[in-house]
Order: sequence, then C-alpha cells, then structure tokens
Amino acid sequence: MGPFLQYTVIGLTVGSFYALVALGYTIVYGIIRLINFAQGDLSMVGAYLGWTLLVALGFQHLPLPVAIVAAFVIPMLGTAVVNLGILQFAYKPLLKRSLLAILITALGMSLLLENLAEVIWGAAINAYPPDLLPSTGFAIGPVHVSYVQVALFGVSLLLMAGLYLFIQGTTIGTAMRALAVDHDAARLMGINVDQVIRLAFVLGALLAAASGVMLGLYYVQIQFTMGFLLGLRAFTAAVLGGIGNIPGAMAGGMIIGLLEAYTTGYLSGKWEDVVVFGVLITVLVVKPTGLFGERVAERM
Amino acid sequence: MIAERVARFMPPALGVWRSRALRVPFWIRVSVFLAVVGLSVGAYGDDYVTAVAVSVATYAMLGLGLNIVVGYAGLLDLGYAAFFAIGAYTAALLMTIGHWNFFAALPLAVIFTGVAGAIIGYPTLRLRSDYLAIVTLGFGEITRISFNNWDYAGGPNGVLDIPWPTLFGYQLSSQIAFFGVSLVLLALAMIFAQHLDNSRLGRGWVAIREDDFAAEAVGVPSLKLKLTAYVMGGMWGGLAGAFFATRIGAIDPTSFTFTLSVYVLLLVVLGGMGSLPGVLLGALVVVGLPEALRGFSQYRILAFSIFLIGMMLVRPQGLWPRIRRKPKPFYGMQDEESENVAIDILQEHQAEMERRDLKHAAARHKAPVDGEVLLQVEGMQRYFGGVKAVDGVSFEVKRGEIFSIIGPNGAGKTTVFNCITGVQRPTKGRVLFDGRPLNGLRPHQIVSRGVGRTFQGIRLFKGMAVFENVMVGLYPRHRTMTWQAMLHTPGERKDELRTLREARRWLQFLNIEDKAGLLATELSYADQRRVEIARALAAHPHLLLLDEPAAGMNPTEKMELLVMIRKIRDLGITVVLIDHDMALVMRVSDRIAVLDHGTLIALGRPDEIQKDPRVIEAYLGREEDDAELAEAAGH
Repeated sequence: MGPFLQYTVIGLTVGSFYALVALGYTIVYGIIRLINFAQGDLSMVGAYLGWTLLVALGFQHLPLPVAIVAAFVIPMLGTAVVNLGILQFAYKPLLKRSLLAILITALGMSLLLENLAEVIWGAAINAYPPDLLPSTGFAIGPVHVSYVQVALFGVSLLLMAGLYLFIQGTTIGTAMRALAVDHDAARLMGINVDQVIRLAFVLGALLAAASGVMLGLYYVQIQFTMGFLLGLRAFTAAVLGGIGNIPGAMAGGMIIGLLEAYTTGYLSGKWEDVVVFGVLITVLVVKPTGLFGERVAERM
Repeated sequence: MIAERVARFMPPALGVWRSRALRVPFWIRVSVFLAVVGLSVGAYGDDYVTAVAVSVATYAMLGLGLNIVVGYAGLLDLGYAAFFAIGAYTAALLMTIGHWNFFAALPLAVIFTGVAGAIIGYPTLRLRSDYLAIVTLGFGEITRISFNNWDYAGGPNGVLDIPWPTLFGYQLSSQIAFFGVSLVLLALAMIFAQHLDNSRLGRGWVAIREDDFAAEAVGVPSLKLKLTAYVMGGMWGGLAGAFFATRIGAIDPTSFTFTLSVYVLLLVVLGGMGSLPGVLLGALVVVGLPEALRGFSQYRILAFSIFLIGMMLVRPQGLWPRIRRKPKPFYGMQDEESENVAIDILQEHQAEMERRDLKHAAARHKAPVDGEVLLQVEGMQRYFGGVKAVDGVSFEVKRGEIFSIIGPNGAGKTTVFNCITGVQRPTKGRVLFDGRPLNGLRPHQIVSRGVGRTFQGIRLFKGMAVFENVMVGLYPRHRTMTWQAMLHTPGERKDELRTLREARRWLQFLNIEDKAGLLATELSYADQRRVEIARALAAHPHLLLLDEPAAGMNPTEKMELLVMIRKIRDLGITVVLIDHDMALVMRVSDRIAVLDHGTLIALGRPDEIQKDPRVIEAYLGREEDDAELAEAAGH
C-alpha cells in the first residue's frame, strides 16, 4: 500500500501539469476545431520566461513570495502575447480555409517555437534555482509528500477552478460555450466570434505557461525540447477525457499522470508511453468519444 | 495551376505537344521521367548528391503511401513512421538472422506491414478523424518503443550489419546502384498509386472523404475502404522501410520517431494532397531544402519552419496541387438514341432484378412478385432520449406500387427511412425486405440487398463531377478486385468502361446528360435532386426511398418529377415517397400512409386519405379548437 500511495502522490502532481496543458488543447479545439500542436511548446516558452526572470534577471534573490508571483504572472502574460501573435499572423488567415492547412501550420509553429528557443536560450539544459523552494515535506504513514508537491497541486487546482468558474459563470464564458456548439448561431446572437477565439488562445497560453513554470520548479531542469513530450501527453489526456470537454481534460490529465507513475513504479519507465497509449487506444475503441465526451448527433 | 500558367505563354504547337504527352500512359511518363533523373544524377552527381537523391526517393515512397491514406481517403495518420519501422525491422531481421536476400525479404516485409496495418486499423478506423490522429500517433510511439525494448531486435542499438542486396550474384554497394534500385521501387509505387486513384477504389475514397455518411448510404462499404487505404499506405511504408534498412546497413529505433511521421505528412501537404507529382516535389523540398541550408546548420530547421508556415499562408493547396481538368466524361463514346436508352435500361434493370430474385430463391427465400409484400415494417419504434420520434409504426409496401408517407413536420417520416436503410437503429421493431430482416445490417449491405435512397437535405459529393457521383452509386455492382485495379488490368478497364456507360445511361434517363461534366455544386437545386435519384438508381434497387424530392422545385419541375416517378415505377422499381406537396402525392401515389407524432394515423388510397377526419385534424386542427378559439375571441 505504501508504494502505491507514493506513486499516487507523484502521479497527481505530474498529472495536474498535464491537465493544465490539456485544457489549452480542449478549449482551442472546442472553439475552432484545431488541434493546436504548439500547445506543449507554449508551456516550454513559459518555462523559459520563468527561468529568465528567476535566474538571468536575478528575481530569485527577491523575497520568496514576490519572486514566485512574478515568476508565474509575467511568463503567463508573456506567453499569452506570443500565442495571440501566433493566432493573428499564422492561424487567422487560414481559419476560413482548410482545417488541414491550419493543422500543418500548427505543426510548423511547434517546430518554430522549439528552434527559436534553441537559438535564444541555447541547446543546453537550463536549471531553475534548486533551493528556491523548500525541499522538505511531511509524512503520512509511509508516504512522503513534499511541500512543493502540495503547493503545485494546489496552484493547479486553483487555476482549474478559476477557469471553470470563468467559463460557467461569466457572460463571455457563456459566449465561449455557445460558440463551441454552433458558430453561426452564436454569431447571429451577436457574439463577437473573433474576440472569443482570441480569448480561447489567451486562456490556453496562460494555463500552458503556468504548467511550464511549475514543471521547471518541480523538475529543476528545463530544455527546449521539453514541450514535445509534454504536449503529446497533454493531447492524449484531452482526447482521453473527450476533446472539447473541460472537466474531461482535467480528469484525463490526472489519469495520464497516474498511469505514468504506476507504470514507472511497478513495471519500468521504458514502458510508460506504451501503457499510456495502449490505454488511450483501448478506451477510444470501446468508447469512441473519450471518457466524458458527448455523442455528436448527426442530422440527415 | 503552374501548368496552366505555363501553357498560356506557350505557342499553340507546344500546347498540342503537351496534350499529346498527357495522352501517353502514365506508367510510360513516370518511367521516362525517372530514367532521365537517374541518368542525369548518375552522370553529373557526386556521391553526396546521389546519397541525398536516394533519401529523396525514400521519402517520396513514404509520401506516396501516406498520400493514399491522407490525400485519397482523408484519414489523418500521425503515426506513419510505424509502418516504415515495421518494414525496416522485418527486412533487417530476415536479412541478418535469416540470411535472406533483400529481394526475397522485400515482398515479405511489405506483406507483413500490410497485415500490421490491418490489425491496428480494423478496430480504430471507425473513430472520428481527430481521434484517429491521436490513435495513429499512439500506434507509432508504441511501435517505436516496443522495438526499443525488444532485445531480440537489438533493443536501443537496433539491428547492425545488414547486408547489401545482391542481384544475380552481383552485390549492390555504391550509392548510384542504390539510387537505381530506389528509382525502380519508386516507379512501381507511383504507378500503382496512380492506378488505384483512377479506379473504383479511388472514387470510393474521394466519396468517403467528401461525405462518409452519404457514401455508406449509397452502397460504399466505408469501413472496408478505409481499411484498404490504411493497409495500402502501410505497404508502401513497408517498401520504403525495407529499402532504407538495406541501404543504411544499420537501423535503430531513433530513425522512426514521431518527427519522421510529421515530416512525411509535411511533404504530402507541401506538395499538394492527392497529387503524385506533388509528392515528388514535396520530398525534394523536405529533404533537399535542409540539405541546401546545411551551411547555416544551426538555423536550417528554423528557416524550414518559417518557410512551411509562410507556404501555408500563401499557398495552402500545395506546390503542385492536384489539377482538375474540365472533365469530358463521355469523350469518344458513341451516342445512343434516347429510345434505345430507355429500352436498354429497362432490359438491364429487369435482368438485374431477375438475377437477384434467382439468387434469392437459391437462398430458399421466395421473392415477392408484383402485388405481393416487398417491404414490411413491424412495430417500429425509435426514441431519442425522451422524444418518441417513431412510436410503433407498422405498414407494408407491395412490390410495384408507389407508396407515400406524409405527415406534418416532425411526424417521424425521415426517421422511418433512416431505420429502414440502417442509418439509425430502431429502438424496437422489425423491418423485413423480401421477407428477410434488415435489422442490424450496415447501410451499404442494405443497399446491396436492393434498397436505394435519396436525402432530404441533398448529400451529393460536392467535389466530384455529376457523372462521378453516379459512378459512386454503381460501386456495389463492380466486379473488379483491388489487385486488378492496382495493375489496371484489361478486365478492370472493361468494368470501368461499363460503369461509365451505365452512369451515362442513368443520366440520360433523368434528362441531365448535358450536365455530366459539371461539379455537383454547380447545378440547380432541381438538378441536384435528379443526380441524387440517378445515383440511387445506379445500384439497381428493388425499392427506392425518395425523401422530399419535390422540395425546392418549381411547378414545372414538379410535373417532370411526377412523370419521372412513374417512369421509375415502370422499370419495376417500387417507390416509397416522402413529400409535403399534396398535389404531387395525391396524383402519383397508389397508397398513402399518414404519420403524426410518430404514430400511423391513417393508411389507404388517396381518395380515402383526403376524406379521413383524423388526417384533416392532424393537418388543420380540430373544429372544436376553432370553435373554442372563436368563443375566446368573444363571438
């Protein structure tokens, strides 16, 4: 029982990072039916912006709360600006044309972000300040839980709850949900479609950047290629939960995190992806809309 | 596009030469082109250039395979590298451990990859396309990691010391020899792909890509066709993989990452989806451009990604898109007299029906004759959540009659059609056709049993010409096999010609032969309805279900429709009609069923229906209601 709970703690922590990125996939997909392949790389951008602040600009020497808040807020805003730029210059002109063209552009954008990061920050591994956060923790029986894990998990939950309330409770959130159901009807009801699309990209970027900074704080090391695997896992999580479905993406992220932790713990790290994708394929074959996806009815 | 632009500046004589060149069979053009490329690289290229050229050829083979999956069938595959890996490993293990010759290992590698494609494709291809993308991606990763963890195949080190191929005792070891082999394989891959594209398979794939649902409903076995595309694509990948293994001499799992899948997809899209020359050009750009930018080593992928994004903005259709020449569908075919056409159709249709009745009798079923029950609907129910769209409807349609279903909007008429044609499953109840149950069959199987249909909202294949739409309707009646299509055998050509001729006849039957070469979207509403009817008739149905064929037609067109429905019945086809135009329904029908709120409220001859108080009530409301209303208004 001890190891199992220990793996669960690790799985939930990592899973909450995946969930944040998966939410970005799901929100953007819900609005414009695009699998935004650059989502994972946005996370990488966030992680590097955080590193720049903390290490290169020396924010790590400021009082801890100030440093942490700055290391989250500024990268999140910066990444949002980057994502808006991507939307405006690369995706917007293609929105009315073939979806495949945007998909290819998104793949190209992922490559571009990765290689730009390599040019700007270098190919070597960059390290977050290791002793910024306390490395101690507490024990519940045989299970060791570090304060960092609790804090990061808490921040993730907070962000997710905020997103959920925003989408369920505000007018613009309602507009987003309406747009996800029917573009034309939403437009006829006077919803500013462009604005909602921009909002979706901003939200996706905010969440991705936050997860990037958290990954940096948790694993300490970051590299320009980190976005790829993160994006892949998060994409899997979004589909597993039923793409377009917000609670589904959260649950999917947690499930992927747990699967990964259990596989590494009980089997071997090298089978991680096989198990993750194996479960995904099995779920989709049995329930083609994902765990929480709704059936799409077609009218003839 | 480019070709057109070039053609404009060419003197007319060159234009003539160009059209003559296009009349040369594709396989000769490809062989000549690749031979010229091979000779010029052989004559002028050094080892480096030749090595790059071999890589381009390998990627082009991969691109051709993925083009079948993505370009033709419209299935987004993000794990294509898996096939490349399986082909490479199969060949490598056979050649190292089994000491097989490359040319013996190659076919086995191709077949084995195809089998792997079938195994993974069968359960997953019914998924929606975005989901398919992630499943294929997962398959690609699982394959790579499995090879990485599989000690027998060398684990992370892979398979080393793969021998070079020997041909008639002569060992191929120079780059130029490999280039020769790769060109031969590439030529085969291109020619087969082109043949498939121009066969009934290609047509079926386009139909599925345009409208999966409508394709299935007019008789195209969509799942089987998707699987065929997937397996074919896999085999092409296996071919490229086997070649790659022997050429490199050592393979390991890092050669088969997700990045490779993405690059192959990129080259297909860059070149122009579905376009064969586009694939070659795309391979040249994707492999060649980073090589040409080698001087800037650090920035070359960066430059490549910027180029890619810019390209999508400026030219999303690709560098060498598939050109749609204005089709001349019946060019060189003899004109037939319209009377002959009618007689031919009648004869052919009756022969077809007799054939089916015989087959039916052989299966120990009694085929109904005229006046006996052909279609039997027993207690059909269909609920959508709490909504009872159809709630216990029973009726019988006799062979040779025109039977109409009418009722107010939302009465459940179309749902009855959908349940008969297998598009929706009835919640409860049975549908018998020719005395045999249709329940549980897939729509295309029901079509081949002899039930054709049209749709309330027209569902033609928009990107296809009118005659191609009708040819898709002939899909269930083809007799050629996939291998015949691939080799473009005389039998296949004859079958294609027969199909074309029949499609033309049906278009003549419906008086729209002159529009055969237009795109479906260029037609008027009434003509689109006619094409839908032609498409449904092309499968020679026993029973034709017409869903609001008169909607959107003007009075003249409605009159023509009325004549047409009778003409169809005179072929011996039983017609079931849904329509709101009472004048049409009352004049054309032998019997009428009236639905309201999902239940059958009346059934009988038109004159009986017109007098039925329940029908009048359903359409006009009750007289008491009016009285009450009048009272309420203060009279």
